[in-house]
Amino acid sequence: MTPHFAERAGVRTFIHEGPSLAPRLLDLEVPRCEELRIVLPLASNVAAGLLKALEGRRYGSAVGRILCGGAAHLSYHRMIVTNQPERPYDYGQPVVLDGYITFISGAITVGRDARGAPLLHCHAGFLDRNGEQHGGHLVLDKLIVGSEPLTIRLCLFDQVAYQVQPDAETHFNLLHPVLKELS
Amino acid sequence: MSVAVTEDSLVQDGRLGRLVIARLKPNEDLIDSAEALCKEHGIDLAVVRGGLGSLIDGQLSYLGREGLIQIHVPGPGVEILSVSGEILSGASRLQAVVADADGKLFAGRLERGKNLTFITVELTLQEWLPD
Repeated sequence: MTPHFAERAGVRTFIHEGPSLAPRLLDLEVPRCEELRIVLPLASNVAAGLLKALEGRRYGSAVGRILCGGAAHLSYHRMIVTNQPERPYDYGQPVVLDGYITFISGAITVGRDARGAPLLHCHAGFLDRNGEQHGGHLVLDKLIVGSEPLTIRLCLFDQVAYQVQPDAETHFNLLHPVLKELS
Repeated sequence: MSVAVTEDSLVQDGRLGRLVIARLKPNEDLIDSAEALCKEHGIDLAVVRGGLGSLIDGQLSYLGREGLIQIHVPGPGVEILSVSGEILSGASRLQAVVADADGKLFAGRLERGKNLTFITVELTLQEWLPD
């Protein structure tokens, strides 16, 4: 099917190229989670710091927030229009920022790649040193803490994971909830 | 400014319980989906623990001097940067910070039925269990 916009109850919808299969909500339940507060020091790489903090812990995946902090260097992506019919919108070239960057808001999912290794997915908003707003898909292995420590809260859960799987509807590789053996 | 006190505060002791880990597929509304997930899992009240993904368009609101003010964030590909709030059937109140395709930030209350998933939304809810 050619991707196109449609409308439902006055709200714009988007029909992707691939089949729109039921169920539309994929979900699993776990009985509890473990809470973690992580404070990453100045000049540290955020992906490396997070993965080190998670090393040796029993968890399938984790979700959390960037609570506060700053960056000295980061790279993020915004969505752009492409000429690819199967993926008419995709992430563009990275926007790279240096200097004093102040976090406003951010969400993190620690998922698993196809082989079960941790995979970090993060969206965040921040202000650059000129006060200009930025927000999008943040690349954590290019994120260097700066100005002040970066505080992250995570909720770790086991038996279920967000694992990357190809999605036939959107043609993206996306995180899906899956049952998982204890890691 | 003075504010009349009309009723007592509600103070609940309790704890967080089960987690629901979900993916919303395209064209699903965030609030309707969150309430459907709670209903499916027999959860009366939940808090949002994680929310990350993209919307076709964003529709936020806030209470201004002249009533509810709407903020339309045109997409597609409005990025959800964070979501917070409570899920209570028919009365959920969720706030979000989102970014448009130029990276500009918007914040406000999410409007029911008007924030549809574009590619995916990872949504994690946790049950609140009052004592």
